[in-house]
Amino acid sequence: MKQYGKYLFLLPGLLVLTLFMIIPIAGTILSTFFDAGSFTLAGYMQYLQDPYFLNILWVTLRTSLLTTLICILLAFPAAYYISKCRPRMKMILLLLSIFPLLTSPVVRSFSWMVILGKGGIIDNTMALFGSDTSISILYTPTAILIGLVHLFLPLSIITLVGVMENIGDDVVEAAKSLGASASTTFWHILLPLSVPGLMTGSILVFVGSFTAYTTPALLGGRESVISTFLYQNAVTLNDWQLASVVATIMIVLSFVVIGIMNWLAGKVAVRGGNIRG
Amino acid sequence: MSHVSLQNVAVAYQKTNILENFNLDIPEGELVSLLGPSGCGKTTTLRLVAGFLQSHQGSIQVGGKDYTTVPVNKRNFGFVFQNYALFPHMSIFDNIAFGLRQRKVSKKDTYTKVMEMLELVGLQHFENRFPKELSGGQKQRVAIARALVINPDLLLFDEPLSNLDANLRVSMRSEIRRIQQESGIAAIYVSHDQEECFSISDRVAIMNKGVIEQLDHPAAIYHRPRTSFVASFIGFKNFLRFDRRSENGQKPIFYKGDSTFAVSYEKDTGSMTGVIRPDDIRIKPAGPPVTENELSGTIITAIFLGRSYQYEVKTEHGSFTANQEMTIPFQSGDSVVLDMPPHKWVLVEESEVPSYAG
Amino acid sequence: MANRWLGFVTLLVFTFLLGPLVIMLVSSFGEAGVLQFPPENWSLKWYANIFQGSMFMTAFQTSILVSFAGNMLALLVGLPAAYAMSRFQFKGKAFLQTLFISPVLIPGIVLGFALLRYIIVTFQIPVYTALFIGHTIIMLPFIVRVISSNLDNFDFSIEEAAVSLGASRVGAFFRIVLPNIKSGIIAGVLIAFLESFNNVDISVFMTGPGVSTLPIQMLTYVENYFDPTIAALSVLLMALTAVLMFVIERLVGISYFTKK
Repeated sequence: MKQYGKYLFLLPGLLVLTLFMIIPIAGTILSTFFDAGSFTLAGYMQYLQDPYFLNILWVTLRTSLLTTLICILLAFPAAYYISKCRPRMKMILLLLSIFPLLTSPVVRSFSWMVILGKGGIIDNTMALFGSDTSISILYTPTAILIGLVHLFLPLSIITLVGVMENIGDDVVEAAKSLGASASTTFWHILLPLSVPGLMTGSILVFVGSFTAYTTPALLGGRESVISTFLYQNAVTLNDWQLASVVATIMIVLSFVVIGIMNWLAGKVAVRGGNIRG
Repeated sequence: MSHVSLQNVAVAYQKTNILENFNLDIPEGELVSLLGPSGCGKTTTLRLVAGFLQSHQGSIQVGGKDYTTVPVNKRNFGFVFQNYALFPHMSIFDNIAFGLRQRKVSKKDTYTKVMEMLELVGLQHFENRFPKELSGGQKQRVAIARALVINPDLLLFDEPLSNLDANLRVSMRSEIRRIQQESGIAAIYVSHDQEECFSISDRVAIMNKGVIEQLDHPAAIYHRPRTSFVASFIGFKNFLRFDRRSENGQKPIFYKGDSTFAVSYEKDTGSMTGVIRPDDIRIKPAGPPVTENELSGTIITAIFLGRSYQYEVKTEHGSFTANQEMTIPFQSGDSVVLDMPPHKWVLVEESEVPSYAG
Repeated sequence: MANRWLGFVTLLVFTFLLGPLVIMLVSSFGEAGVLQFPPENWSLKWYANIFQGSMFMTAFQTSILVSFAGNMLALLVGLPAAYAMSRFQFKGKAFLQTLFISPVLIPGIVLGFALLRYIIVTFQIPVYTALFIGHTIIMLPFIVRVISSNLDNFDFSIEEAAVSLGASRVGAFFRIVLPNIKSGIIAGVLIAFLESFNNVDISVFMTGPGVSTLPIQMLTYVENYFDPTIAALSVLLMALTAVLMFVIERLVGISYFTKK
């Protein structure tokens, strides 16, 4: 009796989640495997052979992967610098990283339209040098990439600062007391110890940019990524069968990536062990 | 000629001086521990010597070389951390070999030296394990081996045993003492545990508010504290500030109200504060009139400590704490006489902070 | 040397992060009908433009209403769940914890589509109600996570102390536990509010006659016009975000963001 009492606390939440998340999602996924009551994979067969759809999938994957890589490369030095700062400066830099994170994606993507669009800064600067003013990079995959890096860089920085703070000063001091230079300490101590956290952060960035809607919708123009493709099919074209297939593919790919990265991070962590040792 | 010499060093944090005009000399091969309550500056001193902190004045010399501005990684001092600070992503072998690799020691020599160290700290066959697979005591052995293998000019211990349980602490401290003596390397050892410092050190420095109140052999500190702070820190619970003194040939007499106390001492500093340990006071039932070095009082509380009873006794000169073994204890309210023999009294100088609570 | 290089990279990173926002801020005060940087003439007319006509005001009201109502429902079902998962040990706890966080793991656009298909079309729930339900779902993980991390630091023995002194279980919760996790609850509500208020992925599927949230209205506007109105509105939203960020920092500290 007491045992069931505990579950009572969870019941309202579970009810809401079941009705308004589990049933709709499960329904969407299941619907892709049935046509007129019988099991079929025809939906997948059809679209996974469609070069147009495959191209969208490929562009989305490539953009997400590039976003993740650029975020790591930019966030790592910045996070290291922030973690070394004095408390006051650290606080300011962290707040400056958190602010974009909390700001609306619409606002942040729009700010890039101002820069990348026709008559924007890039355009005007190019004009100053006598370059052709019609080469605006707005509405290209590059614009999407820039927007996504801008969207996810704060997340990478904040996750990595957290990881580096966790490493603890004493391990770094120990390395120095044993004669290690600043660069040896970085390459042999800090970097290897950051890897598990780096991977967790990268999962968030990769899955986030793979499924992001607002940024590609604003900066990509006619250029489709998988999420805008889903939206077009569901709302504009009313092709729910295709939209459901795309939705299922997005869920499966997201979870596969999360699974793989978690597994890899686990492998690394087995040797590294608990960072606090 | 001392091996380690700190002259007039000073450290400030956020405009507060933690150390000021601080001096410390340590001869070759000696283990000096820094003992004091938290915030007394002992860890600051250690981190200053290690090079994690910079002194804005004075100098630090080790082995005749000036280290005041030498960066940490060029100092060649072995530092043992409170929470071990082992590199979690490296095997025990790689942890110990780390310092040797920074010194470009050949692979073969590295192997030999690491294996020697593992044997010295009693961890043969542990080289392929990882830190998280080790117990606290084993981790601390690795940390010691790692600090020792670089053949440091000085060993620095920052409360190395405080994370271990009581039994392990006792065995590890004699181990540290043995290893330090075998290696003959001078060492500075920071702890807040009195017994640990006394048992491990050649000399102990009692620190208070960034100042060494007394630097002496453990027994000397235990029996002859120089200041009231040192006395209270090492367990002298009873303080008596005398009114006046008179010389009576060999034997000086101190007066407090109507009471008189004969006090024997080695060196006359002119001090008027006497201290005495609870263990050194004898309690007798009230009876014959009190004489010299006796004080009458009333038992306030009696606490059973196991081996003895601890009594809180109220007297005309304040309350006294006395420990005594007895089969039939006094009860609270009993009238008693405290007997405080001349050779148990110690005369101390007043410290800035008169007593240490705790 | 290494530090100066790192400092330089950090400066570049923050220029990249904040530069566009600053440029937009400056551009919003331009007079011209298209966005300019730097503007030739200065004006506040685009700020005034936001409040003229009902387009943004209605959307703003919808956003506030949906976020607020959704927040209350999410709190109502999330608070007991967070309490139980911190307080008790029971079978399937790890799974349930993941389940309560899962709305952030599922791609937003997928959840939005699934809600459109089932809640609106199959269950025939009105768009406005569906919007409220969708926002409740996406706020739930933030409410549960912030309150849980607050409760994990809570010493439940003081709750037991209250009960031993004669308080009822329910009384002890409201008079002992609740006051002590108050700041966590407010922070959770605010973080969830921002998440809901900024949401596009779900809301974009739930528009109808007279029903549209502010971000969706902004997206629609951008598709048709490129004047500084959106820049001006963005500046106001950034000011709101900054205020909420400082309140959250006061309540649970900056570590909420760095230690997840």
